[in-house]
Formats: sequence, structure tokens, C-alpha cells
Amino acid sequence: MNLEAVIVGAIVGVAVGWLARRWMAAARRRKEGGCAGDCGCSAKLKPKK
Amino acid sequence: MSTPDAGLLVALVGNPNTGKSTLFNALTGLRQRVGNYPGVTVARKSGTCDLGDGQKVELVDLPGLYSLAAASPDEQVVIDALSGNIAGDRTPDAVVLVADATNLLRNLFLASQVAELGRPVVLVLNQADVAKEQGLRIDADLLSRRLGGVPVVLTSAWKGEGILEVRRAIARSLAQRATMKRVVWPADISAALADVAAAATADTGKTVTAADAQRLLFDTAPTTADRLGWTSAQRDKTLRSARDRVRNSGYNPMAAEPLVHYAQLRVALEGVVTEGSGKASRTAAVDRLLLHRLLGPLLFLGIMLGFFASVFWLAKFPMGWIQSGVDWTKTVIAPPLDAYPMLQSLLADGIVGGVGAFLVFLPQILILFLFIGILEDSGYMARAAFIMDRLFSWCGLNGKSFVPMLSGFACAIPSLLSTRTIEDPKARLATAFVVPFMSCSARFPIYALMCAAFIGPLYGPGWESVVMVAMHCVGLVFAVPTAFVLTRLILKVKPQPFVLELPRYQMPKPRDVLWRMWQNAAEFVSKAGTVIFAISIIVWALSYFPRDAAVAERIKAAHPTASAEVVKAKVQAAYIEQSYMGRFGKAVQPVFDPCGFDWKITVGVLASFPAREVIVSTLGVTYSVGEGAEADSQHLRQAMQDAKWSEGPRAGRPIFSLAAVLALMVFFALCSQCGPTIATLAQETGGWKWAAGSFLYMTTLAWLAATAVYQVVSRIG
Repeated sequence: MNLEAVIVGAIVGVAVGWLARRWMAAARRRKEGGCAGDCGCSAKLKPKK
Repeated sequence: MSTPDAGLLVALVGNPNTGKSTLFNALTGLRQRVGNYPGVTVARKSGTCDLGDGQKVELVDLPGLYSLAAASPDEQVVIDALSGNIAGDRTPDAVVLVADATNLLRNLFLASQVAELGRPVVLVLNQADVAKEQGLRIDADLLSRRLGGVPVVLTSAWKGEGILEVRRAIARSLAQRATMKRVVWPADISAALADVAAAATADTGKTVTAADAQRLLFDTAPTTADRLGWTSAQRDKTLRSARDRVRNSGYNPMAAEPLVHYAQLRVALEGVVTEGSGKASRTAAVDRLLLHRLLGPLLFLGIMLGFFASVFWLAKFPMGWIQSGVDWTKTVIAPPLDAYPMLQSLLADGIVGGVGAFLVFLPQILILFLFIGILEDSGYMARAAFIMDRLFSWCGLNGKSFVPMLSGFACAIPSLLSTRTIEDPKARLATAFVVPFMSCSARFPIYALMCAAFIGPLYGPGWESVVMVAMHCVGLVFAVPTAFVLTRLILKVKPQPFVLELPRYQMPKPRDVLWRMWQNAAEFVSKAGTVIFAISIIVWALSYFPRDAAVAERIKAAHPTASAEVVKAKVQAAYIEQSYMGRFGKAVQPVFDPCGFDWKITVGVLASFPAREVIVSTLGVTYSVGEGAEADSQHLRQAMQDAKWSEGPRAGRPIFSLAAVLALMVFFALCSQCGPTIATLAQETGGWKWAAGSFLYMTTLAWLAATAVYQVVSRIG
């Protein structure tokens, strides 16, 4: 496997991983009663217990 | 007193449209932190306020409300925040009550209720300049004496007048802790309140304040009782007996509170406000025109047309600059990577092509939010609500539904959350169901792309704004009958009265409008740099791989006499067609064929289900990859204009015909393509049933409408 393929594979892998992590964080926020949107209305916040 | 103390908390409370937020901005200088109150999605906006002598306090801007009777979650938050009943939040050390100087009596009702909480108070009479214009003279010193010596300050927050006096008054209030004179209850009501307080204390073992007792006695909603945990069977008996006692004293228990407050406020205001000769209200004169039964809706339509025409016209040049920047970036990064075609394509077509295609709409988004800010701050948006309310009341929606639906034009998620202000659960459900029909700003880039690439060049720039307004109305056209069926036939919602206060017209404050525009622009750019960036990389990978060298060899062998350029273009087209994305798009394309979508558009549509704005970057990537990495100057628009059907009965004809362009826009106007919206709908309706119903209904409707548009327009055209 050449270096080019490794670099491209790493970039694509990071993009997939980052989106998956973001999706899971949104699901967790939603579960806690917060807003899961990207609108910024409360995405930065976690409701206090 | 001059010792800096960041530990003190001051709350800003007032009726809606009193200039409370403008005063908050003036006092905190936009050094704000926006958050939520725990457990609810009511915003907690706070900032640091310098009191002018080195002392600093935290100032919190509470949601606007008319009275302390909690009917909705945001009203409950104000009561809890003022009473110190929010876990993890401090009890305010002082309260700044903001009242409209032109309507003192009504505004002081809330102040008089807040006085019952016993906190030090500063009374700010805002919009004093307008009161003066109307010929009203207000004796602030006399009012201060009548209200028990609390500081009373006349301000015009919009003009920045009286702000220093407010800072000093807060410092004085914190030092002297002067509380506002409380209302004196008639003996029977006072006894009834004492009975309620004693019974609640005995049952719950908690301290029940005088303010709590008033809420228990006068409010129909059991929010205070629930908070205190007073749920015993004894509660209803005690409240019934206390209300009977109030009734026997000659007061309706549900109206006793405002009657007593207003009677005493009228006495307190005697001689405080004197009327001189003032100018006739300009607001009333303008409203006669803008709220006219026939002219009002026509003017509203005219304003919207002008609004979108200006968005296109003003954004044209900066969009060209950004496009040039994107092209220039491609020309800079592509040549050094000629030896690495895969990496070159990822950077030039995937990242720069995808993110650039999205980012080019930044000027339109900026101008859009600038105009929305101007319409809101000038007071016209409330008039728009009034005009549209007639339509909504016809289709059986609660008048309060308009606000979430209007904000749905920006984003459906906060709009769904704002349906919590609707008390009737059925009306709330119906509103939440139709909110996603409103054309949110995420749909804007696809409309803008189609208008700029096809409608403008084909029919002239004037038609761009007409189509844009039409696309924003498509959702509404379907939302109204949907709401009608839901409210009248399925949910059977009872009509509710709706009170809308029309604020005075005023010049929008540039700083506030520009600040909001900046916030939206920052969000847009941040989305381009994060989600769109990542999705562009994934879409690129799916449309680049697999890349079998045999494909190129086969095409070269099949076209031995063709020029190198033609062969290269054919190879690129063959690569993208046999990529994962191409195979998937081709497999699903028959479903969208009646809508006139080819497999590339189909891929864009499918990739946009998590977030609809992804369509633009997806088309940007698929068309860039298809055109080859060296096609630096080939804009997405040009590539789309040149795209033709390669096979079937439409072979050789443009893919993006007028029928297909309109069908695509209609599809995006109606389709449920936003993962977070579906999830929020499920959260707000307490399950997936309504969310799934909304998804299926909207998506089916979008497909049917797009098919109808394509079939009809392609036959006419």
C-alpha cells in the first residue's frame, strides 16, 4: 500500500469517525432532554441533573 | 460599595416588547453567555454588568412575560428563577423591572406581582423618549416615593440614554436593599391566602412563601403545587374552600389578583403621569396601511418579494468573489499534486469543491439574516404575524402557533421547542407536526443554486425572487390544509383566544442587527468547516472508489482515434458511474425518475436526508469528480447547465430542464430531510409515532408534488 492511499484512507477514516462520534453525542444529548440540533440553540449545553 | 463583586446576581424582568433585551445589551455590552435553564429549553442569557464604580454583577435576562401566573414553561422559569427555586442557580440579589413608559399601568402589574417576592427592585421606565413624544410627562421621583422608595429610572435603551443611571440605581439597590411596596389584600383574601399557606406548609413540611400562596390560590395550573410537592387530597379541598371565601367577599377568585393590583396601581400612578399635547402616534398611522384588510397582505407579499430580490442582487458580487477564491484555491493546490491523482482529487474536488460549493452562499445567508433582523427590530415581524394569524385561525391552529411557525423559516428545531409555549397539548401537537413544512434556511442554498443557475439566466433576475418567494410559500400551502385536517378532523382542537402585542415601529439598532447576523454567519461557516467538510470527504470517497485501471484501458481501446481530452472525459465519466455512489444512485434512480432526477441528483437527494443543505456540496463533489480534477474554472452551475441525459428516451436532452429544476426545489421544500428535526419531533411528542408519521407524510408528499410538477411542466414546456 502506498503512502498516498494511507493518507487518503486516514482522512476519510477521520471524517467518518468524527461524524459518527458527533451523531452519538447528539443522541446522548437528546436522551438527556437537550436539543440535538445543529442550530446552536442549546447544542452547547447539557442540562444539569 | 466599590469593591468588585462578581458573585452578585441581578435579574432583568419585564413584559415582552419593552426593550428589555436592548437594555440588557446596553448594560452588558454584548459580553453575553447563552445557555439553558436546567431540564428545560428556556434560554438563560447572562452577561457581566459594570455598575460604574468598579463593582461588577452578573445580569441575567429572563424571558418576557405579562404576569407571574405560570401557563407555559418559560413563565415558570421566570418565577422559579426569581424565587431561587432553580437547582444550581442563585437567587437574584436584586431585580431590574423593565416597564414600557408609554403604558405604565399595564406594565406595573407584573412589577407589582414581582414585589411580592420581596427582592430589592429597580424600576426602569424604558422608551421614555417615545412617551415624551406622545406628550406624556412622568414624575419618576413621585413614583419612587409611591412605590416605597425603590429607584425609578427613565431610559431610552435604544438611544443609550439613562444607562449609566440604571447602573448606579442597581448599585444603590444592592446597597440599600429597598423593596417595592406590596399590595394590600382585602381582609378575606388575606385570610384565604393565610389558610392556603398554612395548609400547604402543614402538608408538605416546606416553607410556603406569601408569593407561593398567591400562585396556589389564583392560578388554575397546578405548577406551584407540583413544585412544592403538595399533591395530597387535602389540597383541592383547601383551595376550594379558600376560593369560596374569596368569592364570598365579592371577588371572582380567578380575577381577584389583577383587580386588587390594578386598583392599587391606579392610586399609586395618580399625578405620576400627566398628558400634554403630543404627536399623533406614527405607529397607528402606519398600521392603518400595513394592517389593512386587503392592502396589508399585498404589502406583505411586496415586502417579501423586495426582500428576496435584494438578497440576490446584493449577494451577487461577493458570491462571485468567493467563487473566484474557491477556483483559485483549486488551481494552487492541484498542480503540485499531479503525481498523486487520488490525493489531488480528494483535496480539489472533494474538500475544496464540496465546501466551496456550500460556502459560496455565505453572502446570501448574511444578507438574509440582516434583513430578518431589520424586519424583527423594526416591529414589522409582529405585523406579519398578525396578517398571517387570520389564515392560521381559519385552519384551526391556535394563535400561539404562529410564532413557532414563523421561526421555522430560520430553523425547525428551536421552533419545535418553542411550541412548548402552547398550553393546549393537541394544538401543540398539530403545530409541531406542521412546523417542518416551513422553509428553513437550510433549504435556501438549493433554491439559490437553482435560481442562479437556471431561473435567472433563462427568465431574467426578477424571476429569481418570484420563484424564491413561491418556494417559501410551497410549505405553507401544504401546511395549512394539513393543519386543517389535523386540528378539525383528527385531533379536534378547541379554538383558543390569542393576544398579540404589536410593538411600536422603530429604527433597528445597527449593532444588535449586525450582532445577530454575525452569529448566524459564524454558525454557517462553522457548519461548512465541520459537518459539510466531513460529509464532502465521505461523498468524494464514495464517488471516487472503486477505481479499476481496466476501465480506463477499455475506454482507450474502444476510442483509438479520439483526442486525449475526449478520452479523459469519458474515463472520468465511466469512473464515477461505476463508483459506489454511482452504483447506488443508479439502483435507486428509478424511484426518482418520475420526478425527473438523474442518478447524480438522486445521490444528492439521498445524501441530504440527514441534513438538506448537503445537496449543494454533494452536487459540487459529484460534478467536480465527473469533470476531472483539472476542470478548475468549471463552476458547479456551468457543469449542471451542461449536464445531459446519456441514455433512455431523454438521451441528449438537458437533465436540468425547467421542469426538473422546479421539481427538485418543490421536493426540497416539502421533504422531511433533517435528522435532528425528526429526533426533536419524537422528543417533543413523546415517542416516534408522530415523528415517523411526519417523515413518511412529508417525504411522500414531496415525491408526489415533485412528480406532478415535473410531469405537468415538461408537458407544457
